[in-house]
Parts: sequence; structure tokens; C-alpha cells
Amino acid sequence: MSHSVTMEGSPYGIQSKKLAIWLFIIADAATFGAILFAYGYLRLANPGWTKPFAFSPTIVNGMVMTVVLLTSSLTMVAAVAAAQAGRASAGVRWLGATMLLGLAFAALHLREWFAMIGEGWRLFQNPMGGSPLFGATFFGITGLHLLHVICGVVVIGVIALGFRRGRFDAGHVETTALYWHFVDLVWMFVFPLVYLMNVR
Amino acid sequence: MTAIAPHRAPTMKMYVVVWIGLILIVGLEVFLTYERLPAGTLLACLLGLALIEAGLGVMYFMHLKYERPALFWSLIPYLVFALVMMDHFWPDALRLMRQRMQGP
Repeated sequence: MSHSVTMEGSPYGIQSKKLAIWLFIIADAATFGAILFAYGYLRLANPGWTKPFAFSPTIVNGMVMTVVLLTSSLTMVAAVAAAQAGRASAGVRWLGATMLLGLAFAALHLREWFAMIGEGWRLFQNPMGGSPLFGATFFGITGLHLLHVICGVVVIGVIALGFRRGRFDAGHVETTALYWHFVDLVWMFVFPLVYLMNVR
Repeated sequence: MTAIAPHRAPTMKMYVVVWIGLILIVGLEVFLTYERLPAGTLLACLLGLALIEAGLGVMYFMHLKYERPALFWSLIPYLVFALVMMDHFWPDALRLMRQRMQGP
């Protein structure tokens, strides 16, 4: 017995993988929303919340990290544009530039973490004598974001290799770009809420 | 057969304009931080600016402005609803902590 399969048209006019990454992004946005809300209410519940960040080096470092991440979004849209235009080598070069900027962001972040750990900050230890929850929220939120950045760099590397070898197409590059832009947008909330709200 | 919409996207010039706008907003956030505003006012300003940044990023870098409206209406209201629910239930958790029975 034979039967034919009739596939309905996509209601959104996009590829399935693009819809899948959008659903992942919405779920992940809710996750970051939850931890940022939790952080906000922990702050409100602790009137003596520590404000340890000086303009230099922390806020200056945070501004540089923000510009690096925003610039990586720009190189990523250039990669998508090149891939969709069929300029494969240019697409791979832009993906490489995005990876380098992502690695620079991670390196700046880790440098800041190690400086804070050197000052005595731990997950549940506050060297300034305030609420020990500061370390838990700071390392928790920025750590989850940093994990997303590192995963993104790895995924971009895999996609760039596959795209260069012809195993992946422009749709894969675009899907990866959506994830990378999302990681960038999360930082747009982390920087003001976790850094700027905690300046001395 | 799957119907895929023909691709539309902003020009590279538009991307650069959005990128510059986002950097300027970050600069404004840092400026406002050192204006020594009351904490509530500063939080409202920073959240408002972060939402503008997110809107620009989602609409232009992530191309949501150029997709079918059905995609926007299927995704964003759900996320807003989930975040509003969190905003309502988290304070309830603090209230429950205060209502805890005292030990003997």
C-alpha cells in the first residue's frame, strides 16, 4: 500500500531550524528573566547590599566588554549577509572575527573574575563584610552568561568549518547568528543591573 | 511543500546605525549611573534603556521586523506574560518567608 505525504506550508514562512532556535531563545530568555528577577528581589530583601564596583577598573572593563560583544553582533550580521550572498570565504572570515571577539569578551570576563577572586570574593564569601549573597548572584548570573558565550564560540567554530566544507548552508549561519545576538542582548540587561546598579 | 518567505534584511548601513545607537545607549547608561539618581529612578531608567536596546537588537540584528507578524505574535507575548508572572510571584515568596511560624 502506498500513501503520499502532503506537507503544510510553514505558518511563519521560515525554516524549521530557525523556528526551533527562536523557541529555544524564548525559553532561555525566561531563564535569564527568572535569575535576574531573583537577583532583584534578593537585593531588595538585603538593605545593606554591597556596592563594590569602582569606575576603574570594573565599569571601564564592563564598557569595553559591552562594545566588544556589540561589535561581534555586527561581524555576525556581516557573516550572515556574506553567506546569503554566496560569498562563502567572506562568510567564514566574518564568523572567525565573531569568534575572536567572543574569545576577547570571555578573556576580559575571566580576568575580572580572577581579580575579584584574588580580593577574596567567593560564591558565598563577601570580603567587604556585606551580604554573602552578592558573590552567589554575581558569579551565578555572569557565569551563566559566560557559559552561553563560550558555547556560542564553539558552535560558531563548528558551523564555520561545516560551512567552508559545504556541509552547512546560509540557513545554519543565520540560525547560529540568532543565538549569538540573543547572548549579546542578555548582556544588555546584565551590565546595567549587575554592574551599574552596584557602583560605589 | 514548505512555503519559505523570500528573505528580506536591513542593509549593512542600517546595521552600523543600529550598532552605533546601541553603543550610545550604553554610554548614556553609564552617564546616568554617575548622576547619583535615586535607586528606583536609576533602575527604571536603566531597565527602560535596556528594553530599547533589546528591541533594536531583536527587530534589526535578529530580523524579527522582517519576518511575518505571526512569528512576533507567537513568541513575544508569551515571554512578556511569563516575565510578568515572575514579577508577581517572586514577591509572594518573600511574603511567605515573613509568615513563617516562629520556632519555640
